[in-house]
Amino acid sequence: MKVFVFSAVAITVLLSGSVNGENNVMKWSGYLLADNRLEAKKELGFSWNEYRLNFIAEIKPVPPARLYSEIWLRSLGFPDIHTSRDLENRHKLRPIDLDLREAYLDLYGVFYENLDLRIGRQRIAWGTGDKINPTDNLNPLDLEDIWDFGRRLGSDAAKASLFMGSDRIYAVLIPMFTPSVLPSGDFDRQISSRISLPPGLILHNYSDRVILPENNLFAGSKAAAKYAGRFFDYDFSLSYCHGPDNMPIMNRVTVVPIDTLGAVDIAGELIYPNMHIIGCDLAGQIAGAGAWAELAVFLPEEVVLTTDLSAIGMGEQSNVVLKQEPYPKLLLGADYTFPLGLYLNLQYLRGFIYERGNDNLKNYVMLGSEWRSLNDRLKIMPIAGSLEFGDLDEFADTYAFVYAPEINYSPAQNAVLTAGLRVIHGADNSTFGILKDRDEVFFKVKCSF
Amino acid sequence: MNKLYKLVMMISIGGCLATALTADQILKEVDLTAGRPQDQNMTLLLTVIDKRGYEQKLEIVMQQKGVNMRTGRFIAPAEKKGIAFLSLPDGVMYLYLPAYKKTRRIASHLKNTKFAGTDFTYEDMEAINYSAKWRPTLVSESESEWVLQLVPRDNSQSEYSKIILKVQRESYYPVSIDYYGQSGEQCKIMKREQIEKIDGYWIARRSELFDLRSGNRTIMEVKEVAYDTGLSSDLFTERYLER
Repeated sequence: MKVFVFSAVAITVLLSGSVNGENNVMKWSGYLLADNRLEAKKELGFSWNEYRLNFIAEIKPVPPARLYSEIWLRSLGFPDIHTSRDLENRHKLRPIDLDLREAYLDLYGVFYENLDLRIGRQRIAWGTGDKINPTDNLNPLDLEDIWDFGRRLGSDAAKASLFMGSDRIYAVLIPMFTPSVLPSGDFDRQISSRISLPPGLILHNYSDRVILPENNLFAGSKAAAKYAGRFFDYDFSLSYCHGPDNMPIMNRVTVVPIDTLGAVDIAGELIYPNMHIIGCDLAGQIAGAGAWAELAVFLPEEVVLTTDLSAIGMGEQSNVVLKQEPYPKLLLGADYTFPLGLYLNLQYLRGFIYERGNDNLKNYVMLGSEWRSLNDRLKIMPIAGSLEFGDLDEFADTYAFVYAPEINYSPAQNAVLTAGLRVIHGADNSTFGILKDRDEVFFKVKCSF
Repeated sequence: MNKLYKLVMMISIGGCLATALTADQILKEVDLTAGRPQDQNMTLLLTVIDKRGYEQKLEIVMQQKGVNMRTGRFIAPAEKKGIAFLSLPDGVMYLYLPAYKKTRRIASHLKNTKFAGTDFTYEDMEAINYSAKWRPTLVSESESEWVLQLVPRDNSQSEYSKIILKVQRESYYPVSIDYYGQSGEQCKIMKREQIEKIDGYWIARRSELFDLRSGNRTIMEVKEVAYDTGLSSDLFTERYLER
């Protein structure tokens, strides 16, 4: 991959010698975001503390080329102080984090007039849905902030885009594997809570190890292609993607007794299964309302979970946790602006971002609303949230809802103040129900430059 | 005497022809005036002033080819920088949102909403061919202007039930546009000033849109303009929108 990037940069440098420097001006932009959250049910303890400096640099060294980079410099989290020695360490007092979100080179029509290339770390956003996209499977999920739906890591990739009138063909190669970022603490909790132990055994400690795909072009790479065009009055696309899923799945559990009272430690092993994904999406309008749909059919490799109970004299047990059979994820959405400027956005999703297998897909109904005033300086989202449920006949045991109203106010151009809350309620084993003790109030300040 | 009679007759017939332009012909001339340049490339400064006097400034680079292909990209303020729209024939519009790296088709329900906090709607920002979308009636005329009433043609949709267009006789340039909402009330007034001929084409260097419902107004000033620079049709595609 680095060879690709360096070659592309070299081409750009060579080309830049032969043209005037009119475009050769670095453009800077970005924003500063302060994001603080308080847990409403825990005496308003702070649950999130982020100061993010987003920095975008862009230059067109020559007309057919463009360099783009986006960096996050963040102070994220709280002081991690346990001893007086920790007080001597600034990084423990105020954790700082630097993240190269994107850095790529665009080459427009260099090798062929209708062919654009993008090489480097990039976000490749596929799908027509609003923030939730079943067909968007190229970039790893970034679930660090579980409330920032749709956030993904950039992938080190090469993308070719071929344009033929309103028809487009995209080809993508992501040579190196990058795993998804999991939400801090919650995933461990979710996994360990779902491990069913034989009667009489009590979980004492959970630990695991992650086995990444081999770091070579064959095992860790992802390849994809997409055709996009117009069909009557609708934009539509067909896509195919193959490679390892970026979310891990458990394939081995070892149970180790630590006393004679039934307490056991559990050691898990997680792998990344290979997937074939066929996707299609469309967007248009029905009777003046915006309408969109996405369907992704996943064909995974089979994953068998082996539970090693030999240390307690029960041998090994195996069961299939991911069948080698196709499972579909579906998104249907619509939006409309009513008189007086009330905007409503409704989406139905079958299969959340990390749900896999026909038996594990749940239903989600997401509703968003927005009312703007004062020439967009005031934005109120009174109805916003999501309802989750499994099968309808098991609604009471599988439902959860999140209610998340929000208000934004811009006191000056390029500055936005946000306040909102999240109320979560639901069954213990639901996706959002696991967070039901974490109702939050949040405040944000964003200044763009 | 005979020659004098012929001259008087010719002047009279010529005068009759000049005043006998139908509403359709006038509107076609308006479209021709707007679409006479092969292409236009301009930088616009928009100042939005609310009824309390609070000002917001926006800057857009706008490109147009013919009368029905237009693209615009925000270069200021920082919070909107990079947002771009593309207007194509038959009312097809796309919006590119750099923060999401995505282009979205704009459904018709959004076209009557405010464009980026200005008093213009997405429909106002469309590149339009008046004759294709509106059916005109000549309301009145004077020595300096015609007044046309436009109502949507049967096959076209608009947030406005009618538009009153004052067209300058000298230039066929609309100098004033009164917009009426679906319930028939007047909702906006557009005044065009500093009408000049640049490179042989008429343009209003300054336009002011009054939103009668909110009490806000938006001033649009043309900072830079260039005509017939040979803009390629390729610029009016999603490919270029996302660059």
